[in-house]
Amino acid sequence: MRRLKSLQFKHLARPKPAITAVLLLFVLLALPQLMSLYYVDTMTQVAVYSMVALALGVLVGRVGLVSLGQVAVLAVGAWVAARLLFATGQPYLLIVLEAGLVTMIAGTAIGLPALRLRGLYLALITLMLAGGITVVLATVNFPNGGHGFLGYNGSLVHIPPIRRPSFAASDPAYFRFAVIIAIAMFALVLAHVKTRPGRAWAAIRQSEPAALAAGINTTLYKLWAFALASFITGVAGGVLAGAIHYLYSIGFPTQDSITLLAVVLMGGAYSLWGAVVAGLLYQFLPSLLNNWGVSADWLTILFGIGVLQVLTTAPAGLADQVPRDLARLYRLLYRLLGRLRGSRPREGEPAPDPETAERVP
Amino acid sequence: MIEVDGLTVRYGGVTSLDAMSLTFERGTCGLIGPNGAGKTTFFNVLSGFVRPAAGTVRAFGTDLLTMAHYRRARWGVRRTFQTEQAIEELSVFDNVAMVHEHSRLGRASRRQDVLDAIEFAGLGTDPDAEVRTLGAGQRRLVEVARAVVGQPRLVLLDEPAAGLPDEETGHLAEVIRRIPEHTGALAILVDHDMSLVSACCATTAVLDFGKLIASGPTAAVLRDDAVIRAYLGVDS
Amino acid sequence: MPPWSNFEPFVVSGLALGGVYALSGVGLVVLYRATGVLYLAFGAVGALGALTAWSLAQAGAPGWLTWLACVAVAAAVTLGYGTLFGPALAKRDPLVKAVATIGLTLVLYGLMDLLWTTSGGQARSLTLPTDNSGFTIGQITVTDTQVIALAAGVVLTAATATFLRFTKLGTAMRAMANDREITATLGVPVRRVEAAAWLGCGILAGIAGLLLADLVALDATTLTFLVISSLAAVLIARLRSIALTFAAALVVGLLHDLLTPVVSLSNYRDMTPFVIAAIGLLVLSRHRVMVQSREGA
Repeated sequence: MRRLKSLQFKHLARPKPAITAVLLLFVLLALPQLMSLYYVDTMTQVAVYSMVALALGVLVGRVGLVSLGQVAVLAVGAWVAARLLFATGQPYLLIVLEAGLVTMIAGTAIGLPALRLRGLYLALITLMLAGGITVVLATVNFPNGGHGFLGYNGSLVHIPPIRRPSFAASDPAYFRFAVIIAIAMFALVLAHVKTRPGRAWAAIRQSEPAALAAGINTTLYKLWAFALASFITGVAGGVLAGAIHYLYSIGFPTQDSITLLAVVLMGGAYSLWGAVVAGLLYQFLPSLLNNWGVSADWLTILFGIGVLQVLTTAPAGLADQVPRDLARLYRLLYRLLGRLRGSRPREGEPAPDPETAERVP
Repeated sequence: MIEVDGLTVRYGGVTSLDAMSLTFERGTCGLIGPNGAGKTTFFNVLSGFVRPAAGTVRAFGTDLLTMAHYRRARWGVRRTFQTEQAIEELSVFDNVAMVHEHSRLGRASRRQDVLDAIEFAGLGTDPDAEVRTLGAGQRRLVEVARAVVGQPRLVLLDEPAAGLPDEETGHLAEVIRRIPEHTGALAILVDHDMSLVSACCATTAVLDFGKLIASGPTAAVLRDDAVIRAYLGVDS
Repeated sequence: MPPWSNFEPFVVSGLALGGVYALSGVGLVVLYRATGVLYLAFGAVGALGALTAWSLAQAGAPGWLTWLACVAVAAAVTLGYGTLFGPALAKRDPLVKAVATIGLTLVLYGLMDLLWTTSGGQARSLTLPTDNSGFTIGQITVTDTQVIALAAGVVLTAATATFLRFTKLGTAMRAMANDREITATLGVPVRRVEAAAWLGCGILAGIAGLLLADLVALDATTLTFLVISSLAAVLIARLRSIALTFAAALVVGLLHDLLTPVVSLSNYRDMTPFVIAAIGLLVLSRHRVMVQSREGA
């Protein structure tokens, strides 16, 4: 077996395209058949929240902006989608796109004045704004088929469910629909990251003055990140609406935004796969525990500990390319695989520590 | 030519720059002074991070202070920082290309310009190598490459040799000395390493407590009594 | 617009609430200035203390013991966190330190829901003996608890300001707000000063938790996120001025309660801290445009 010396963790965090493609095909085609409907629903939620985690990852991991209210943005997207789904007969996909665009416009409008604030203040203002949105939603409610601008009829006895696209009405079909949209969103982020905005974001995250000195219009690129994150979250909201059929404001509480930040940090705010891990932590684990009759509170505690662990061990900034705990897990798995194949480090040669192998001399 | 006239910067009761008037003619000019003298503040004014309370800066005939900070790079200001380094996760090529992207020059010449800049800095590594794999000296050279790409007009070097061993400082000095002839830009070097300043700069100015206390040919300035006193006075 | 008499009772309750927000805000500001940590878990530890007090009361403990326990629990958790995680994060950006306290908030939140679950629909309440005594001003009833709340806000703000200005420990804290490293080289026992700041903040969190549990509700979620109202005040004061924190806190409390009788806005009154903070921040940041580059020699 090839020596571990050339092990590069970022390759593990971003597996080769071939492996990714195979994995995705498996998820799309085989997974729904292998799981009960309960878990198919769960995995649809995983797809939705992976998108939100992706958006948060762009902000936190790529640009270094912390949003403490991303779930409120998700609620906005879901609201817009629900409103349009009830009021118009437009195709579902179009409505998802519209939800994304409206959320993007709202996010950019808020971002414009907010971006004048530095790190901590910006984070707190996102908390404030999210809180405001939550309060408004509690009063205004989600559309339920009623008339008027808000589309809410408080006296409705039988609330109609939010419809789904005709081609994806069943749960397994909707799961595939959600996954395909998620793949599109991940591709969108990838396209950004590998080109000019991605480089500008890397420069801004490293040092804003240096980025400015290099001629980067930091306000523009930060706003771009806001717009992208808001768009993706809005799209996720559109997918969420059809997934759960009924939307209530208590489904989007403030603490969810905080929990989401926690799982994004734990999964790795920087890598795209980290967003998938975050989605799994956020939706799959609670679902699993629920099935086993264990309280989800244990997860909340775990996530809190996770945040503390990530922050105290991350070398600098809020994002680490692969968090230490996951890195240790990978290392363990690789060593196990190595032992299974019967290879060992040579005598007298210490097993190379992949984390230090790349370190600058 | 850079003409600084009556530049004053005040921040919270402290006057960091006090009516500084100075002309930088051409070539590589040194700017030295004890800690807190105002050298970095001066660079911050030129970069646009700090707004002066009074004074003007005319660079090659253009009023620099009326330009927005991120536009100055497009105009031709380049700067290296004391502590900020090149972007680790990107390659050498991408680091330099990023500056070129935001300069006046177009895409057509980009690849060649970037490779030229990397060669000028004398990096000796594969341009596609990630900066995180490079040593401190090489990272400084990446910053130099970023500073000379894309037809700069004014290159500001803030303690580029800080923390480098002597051998690497020698090579850096050579590169810095050649910046004006290679790019046509004016370079200003801030550093505490007097041998570096002597090797690179024909003329040098000295700041102390925000005031200009000497300027002229480097050798003469470094022997000036007032300058020596300023340094010794702080060096206790 | 309802007649003024409708507003009167809310002036009292608003001031009482504002008083508690003020003492919370002061606690947050002092800790931030001494350690650079914006203690977002302030509400959560207060909630933990209040729930502990409730449990002890259920078990038959005398009132004073439960209140002491509330403050002690909040102080202990806060001091514990500060001692365990303070040094590890000391050199990091304030944003990182604040997000770390979010980790603590989540841990406490999960713990509280486990130990004092509300899923069965139980509602708990905490009452203080001063709820039943009071006086009247004209038509308005004022309970002693409300008086204590406002008084606590005033007294603790004044005491803290005095402490910071005139005592050795207070001066040390102010010095550290400026520059931790330099203060350390001056011979100030940095760790001890920080511990004192954490302890003080924890005590205030316990007091605030107890009062808010009485005035508002004994509910983990409510109490944990009520810190946001104090955050609003603290943000307007730019995490610096104690006096401004006090004033802003009173405004937040007053405005929130005063909107209750205004039918068209009443549902939105919970937005008050958010709106005030958002406006305040954006207005105040209008003139600070410049980017800070790290100042060197």
